[in-house]
Formats: sequence, structure tokens, C-alpha cells
Amino acid sequence: MAESEDKKQEQGGQSDGVLEIKNVTKRFGPHVVLDDVSLTIEKGKTTVVIGPSGCGKTVLIKHLIVLLRPNAGEVYFKKQRIDHLSESELSKIRTHYGFLFQGGALFDSLSVAENIMFPIRQHYKITNWSEAEEVVKTKLAMVGLDGFQNYYPANLSGGQRKRVALARAVALNPEVILYDEPTTGLDPIRSDVINELVLKLQRELGVTTVVVTHDMTSAYKIADRIIMLHNGKIVADGDAEHIRDHPHPVVQQFINGQVGEDDLAVLRMSGTISQAQFLPRDFE
Amino acid sequence: MIGIIGAKAVRGVNSVGQFGRFAWQAFGACLWSSLRTGTYPLIWAQMNIIGVKSVPVIMITGAFVGMTLAVQAYGQLAGMGLEEHLGVLINISVVKELGPVLAAVMLAGRVGGALTAELGTMNVTEQIDAVKSMGTDPIRYLVAPRVLACLLLTPFLIIYADLLGIIGGAFVSIVQLGINGRAYWEFSASGVELWDVTVGVMKGFFFGAAIAVISCYKGFTCKEGAQGVGQACTEAFVASFITILALDFALVVIFKAIYDTFWPFKSLVA
Ligand SMILES: Nc1ncnc2c1ncn2[C@@H]1O[C@H](COP(=O)(O)OP(=O)(O)OP(=O)(O)O)[C@@H](O)[C@H]1O
Ligand SMILES: [Mg+2]
Repeated sequence: MAESEDKKQEQGGQSDGVLEIKNVTKRFGPHVVLDDVSLTIEKGKTTVVIGPSGCGKTVLIKHLIVLLRPNAGEVYFKKQRIDHLSESELSKIRTHYGFLFQGGALFDSLSVAENIMFPIRQHYKITNWSEAEEVVKTKLAMVGLDGFQNYYPANLSGGQRKRVALARAVALNPEVILYDEPTTGLDPIRSDVINELVLKLQRELGVTTVVVTHDMTSAYKIADRIIMLHNGKIVADGDAEHIRDHPHPVVQQFINGQVGEDDLAVLRMSGTISQAQFLPRDFE
Repeated sequence: MIGIIGAKAVRGVNSVGQFGRFAWQAFGACLWSSLRTGTYPLIWAQMNIIGVKSVPVIMITGAFVGMTLAVQAYGQLAGMGLEEHLGVLINISVVKELGPVLAAVMLAGRVGGALTAELGTMNVTEQIDAVKSMGTDPIRYLVAPRVLACLLLTPFLIIYADLLGIIGGAFVSIVQLGINGRAYWEFSASGVELWDVTVGVMKGFFFGAAIAVISCYKGFTCKEGAQGVGQACTEAFVASFITILALDFALVVIFKAIYDTFWPFKSLVA
């Protein structure tokens, strides 16, 4: 029942898809990470991808910007096939994107201000530097970091780095923004500010948004549509309501943060193993 | 067994092909950057890092080569009573072979290692992907300035090595071994042609480009983790070193052919 409903939603989106992946399979050696996944991302909507750690969310979102190329299947941006383009052809397409890396990926040899200026300097000729500084200031203020212009990434906390990376990702006012775990490592208040920022960009600028997250509060707040990835397949696809009431046990476990029976069994087992089988170091 | 060898061969051919493509793209990116004034600050910054800071080591290398040659060759030549010819021997060796090759090897260690480590770290921390994600070609932004800086500066560094080699050799010969200074320089001048110096310095363009392209390639294809970066640096140095020697051989053959064809006409021109 849920299966057919998921299918229907998927096809409904086809007409207005900005990003589309068709039958994508991705393998690393023998390890199949994405198994024949198809997905259409609708224009101006926020699509949230959830799923357990290591299920391939990052791999999926990197395919949308072709930082990874599929072993089989196709990737489209505005109806144009992009997965087989050369890097220089991709460069042009990627100017329409903003991408927030899970690890930030700030340039550690550049200061915070230079990091945010980087995409701007690459694509525009800057004549008015005070205006450029103003842009950096507003982008940083958006993520609550005005005043950190001259810091280097090494001197920032993990959460601060993430926020600078976010400011950099939106620096060019892209049409499509892909966020890989924007709120991970942030305190609850700052997370909510980021949620509001994502919503604001989507509502005011009509940005097409894809967010990878584990954070269900954030997912429910920002999502027009939630997709759950499990074992290389999409197991659930629909709005927040649909996901909340999804019959699939894996989905219920994930959104409620419940540990599964098999994980519990492993924990019970490990409790019974005695440490005595290892001899103390000073035994001899 | 045959399967394993076959797989290895395929992988070998594959990586050669990959390197060839990378080198070709780097070449294209260098042409592109050299036509665009906007990229000059990047090249300039790399020149500072690569070139200026290498001058002291290169000078020390050159000086010791010259001095050592003087001591070694003196014994041989003095036995035949030819010690005044020492200058030719030292200066020809320094200018044609030892200066360029040792300077290049020094640079492969100093600059190549740093380039591989820098780009390798950028690769494993996704900074190269970040460059790509913002619509910039990392080969243009990261590789081209480094290759151009290396290519343009290596000849100058070779001149420094040559100069110090000549001074070092002369110092030991004239001051330490007591050879007549006038005779030393006169024999040197008659034995070393402008062509010899030019060939030595010209080699610098090829060595510089080879070091930078190989080191950048190794950085770009570096495996994950601290160990991956370390391994990439080692491989970059070994590959650069062998390439320098092989290139040197090839260039000597080519330049000799050019010399034999064109140099006789010099008297007609002059
Ligand atoms: N470059 C790679 N080489 C080999 N395997 C990889 C590579 N990148 C990812 N994988 C594998 O793909 C799987 C999915 O990785 P991915 O980073 O997409 O997980 P994720 O869903 O983003 O997890 P998390 O929520 O922890 O970030 C992992 O099991 C990982 O081992
Ligand atoms: Mg991830």
C-alpha cells in the first residue's frame, strides 16, 4: 500500500524536476551503496533526505552535483544530462549550485572572509571592495559569525566552521542548494536559526533545496518532502505526515530514535563477555 | 598468475593514461592562465613560495658541487700537469649537467614534496571537491599557477646553482689549490660556450614543469588519511627524480642534434 503511494508521489514530481537521478547505482568495490535509485527534486521545494549513518546519504547528494559519478544510471539538471560531462563543462553548471559539505571543507589556507569571497571572486570581477566586504559581513551575520572575518578555519570550533561553510555555500545566491547535515554539531538554538535560514532562502528566493539530516525536528520543520534511504534504496517518500505514519518498521524506528531488536541483542551479548579472558599487562 | 600480471599491467596502463590526461589538462590550463591577467597574482604567490625560498638551498647545493669537483679533478689533472685546465672541466660539468640536474633534484624534494603534501591534504579534506562545487576548475585554480611558477623559476634557480658552482670551483682551485687565476678563467672561457649554458638553463623549463605536474598529480590522486599523503609524497619524489634523469638524457640527445645541425652556421651569422 505504502509502496504504491510512494511511487505515485515520485511520478507526480517528474514534470517540474530541477534535479533528477534515474536508476543510479553506485558501488565502491563490492560494496553497493546506491542500488538503482531514482529521484526527482522539485523546483522551489525543500526535500529532506534521512537515513541511518552510513546508508549513503552523502553519496546520494554528491551525485546530484556530480562530485561522484554513478556506475550506472543518469543524472539530470534541468533536463540536461550531466553525469557524463567533463569537469570543465560541469564547472559552468555548478555555478547554479551551492553545496555544504558534511565536514565543511573550508580552505584552511584562507581566512573566513577569503573563504566566503572565494566563489564570488571566481565568477565576478570585483571593482568595489567595500561593497564586497559588506556582502561578506551580511553572509556571516546570517550565520551569527560577524566579526570572525580574519579568523582562520583552524581557530574555529566545529560548529563555527560548519556555519562559515554554510555562508560560503550560499554566497553566490544559487538556485539549488544542497546541504549535507547543516545542523549537526550545533546547539539547539543555533540549529533552529539555521532551519529558519534554510526556510528563508527557499521562500524568499525560491531556492530548490536538498537537505541531508539526522535531525528529525529540523526535518519536520523545513521539509516539503522527506525521503528515507535504507540499504541503498528509498524506503519512504512523502510529506512529514506521510513519514510520521509510515507503516515500514525501519522508518518508525528511525524517526522515533528506537534501537532495533538485533542491535539490542548484540548489546546484551557483549555484556556477558568477561574481560577475564584477557590477561592483565603485568601478568608476567 | 597470468591474471595477476594482466591486472597489474592493465592498472599500469590505466594510471599512465590517467596521468597523460592530467598532464594534458594541466597544459591547457597553463595556456589559459597565462592569457588571463587575473590569474597572475596566484602565479606570483606561488613563485614566492616555490622560488624565493628555494634560493638558499640551491645556492648551497651549487657551491658544494663546484668545490667538490675542484678537489676531485685536481688530483687527476695535476698528475698529467694539466691543472690549469681545471676550470674547463669544472665549469662545463657544472653548467651542462650537475647544476641543472642537482638543482632539479633539490627542487623535486623541496618543492615537489610540499606541493604533493599540500594538494594531497586538500584532496583528503574535500577542499578540492569544494573548489569544484563552486564551479571552478581545480586544475586551473590549483595546478596551473603551481606548474607555471615552477616552470618559470627553475631556469633562474639553475642559474643560481651554476653561478655558485662556478664560484665554489674557482674558490677552491685558485685560493686553496693555488692555480693561476688568469689561466684558470682563460681556459674556462675558451672551453665553455654560450650554447652550453643555454642548454643547461633550458633544461630547467622541462624539469620544472615535470616536477610540478607529477607532484600535483600525486596530490590529486592521493589516498585517504595521513598515511596516504605521506605515501603520495614519497611516490612523487621518486617519480620526479626518475623523470628528471630520463628527461635529462632525452634532452641531451635532442640538444646535441640541434647543435650539430645549426651551430656551425653561427659563424655565418656573426
Ligand atoms: N570514497 C569512498 N570509498 C569507499 N567507500 C565509500 C566512499 N565514500 C563512501 N563510502 C561508503 O559508502 C557508504 C555510505 O557513505 P555516506 O558517506 O554516504 O554515508 P552517510 O549516509 O552520509 O552517513 P553519515 O550520516 O554518517 O554521514 C559507507 O558505508 C561508506 O563506507
Ligand atoms: Mg554523510
